[in-house]
Amino acid sequence: MSTVRGQSTVSVELSIPVQADLVVLARLTAATVAGRAGFGVEDIEDLRLAVEELCLSLVGTRRDGRLHLTYECEEDAITVDCWYEAGDHETRGRVGDAEDLSLRILDALVDEHGHDLAKGRPSAWLCKRRADPIG
Amino acid sequence: MTDEPRTQGDDTKALFFELVARRDPKVRDQLVTAHLGLAHQLARRYANRGEPYEDLVQVASLAIVKSVDRFDPDRGVEFTTFATRTVIGELKRHFRDKGWAVRAPRRVQELYLELGKVTETLNQELGRSPTVAELASATGATEEAVLEALEAGQGYRTSSIDATDRNEETLASHIGGEDASLDTVEDRELLAPAIAELAPREQLILQLRFGQGLTQSEIAARVGISQMHVSRLLAASLERLRKHVTENGAQPDASTPAGSARQPTSSGS
Repeated sequence: MSTVRGQSTVSVELSIPVQADLVVLARLTAATVAGRAGFGVEDIEDLRLAVEELCLSLVGTRRDGRLHLTYECEEDAITVDCWYEAGDHETRGRVGDAEDLSLRILDALVDEHGHDLAKGRPSAWLCKRRADPIG
Repeated sequence: MTDEPRTQGDDTKALFFELVARRDPKVRDQLVTAHLGLAHQLARRYANRGEPYEDLVQVASLAIVKSVDRFDPDRGVEFTTFATRTVIGELKRHFRDKGWAVRAPRRVQELYLELGKVTETLNQELGRSPTVAELASATGATEEAVLEALEAGQGYRTSSIDATDRNEETLASHIGGEDASLDTVEDRELLAPAIAELAPREQLILQLRFGQGLTQSEIAARVGISQMHVSRLLAASLERLRKHVTENGAQPDASTPAGSARQPTSSGS
């Protein structure tokens, strides 16, 4: 990934297996993109929690499959799109249902977010704008 | 013309207007009590990251009290949205101050502590939250090191370091949530004698799982056994309860843990 300061848009893609110890990658990627875009640490902290919540809201109790995330960084906003790809042998668990608590948490942490769980490909997105635009 | 049914939100709003008008401590208590469930839910969400669940509940509950005191019903924001923001803010602060159960390397811990001081100074100097680049410059660390320290400093449990059963770890295993079986378990007086017959440890595990909503990983840490072992004990206990219910003539409905083949939520299975 190139440095995003001074550039109009940067896009980063990440694909991870549904595994708790790998969600750190989703959080760190968000933090890195936001950090390089000059977001404040408070915003970055919110973004970390929000990205984790986004993943949880999609995965539910599934333990198979992959999460695909795309991070788009523009001038003063970062958008994270995430979709869940079911595993070949997934027979147990349920896909996340974007429960009330997840939505409330996302409300509290980001400026906009949405879920699309109706189709065969559960997806969700969020947008975090910089609280303290610099100079 | 028919009246719109009153919602819980309407009642809450009316109580807040009453609180603003009269500052009645009873109304305040009523509002706090009505929203303690949210504190528990959020505490559960951020449990299993190195801090005791009870401490998180306390922090979250205090944040609810603060939220009730600060909420302005004229602003057009739902109280739950406002309160969630406040509770998460307080939990983040708590993790920042106390979240060192994570086994981070010493250099990361030291940098994290330094970042705390520098962030405070820069906050005051700049009038805003400092950027990663500014923190890196002020501490002499690289931006990557700053990001690493901030990540570790949030008190997140790094499963890759301390999970012995990492292949069984799922995202959901980190969440203690409401379980669909909770109400039915609690409601079935029929189960009481069967629960009493379980070994004390199995009773404790059931209580922690369904009474307190802890995840299997949290229970494992509390009881001193592996998460897989907790999962097996829970499954065995629930099977015994199901048998008891069946033998005593009650028909477990499809949503009971005993009546279905589902495993407790936190196992992810």
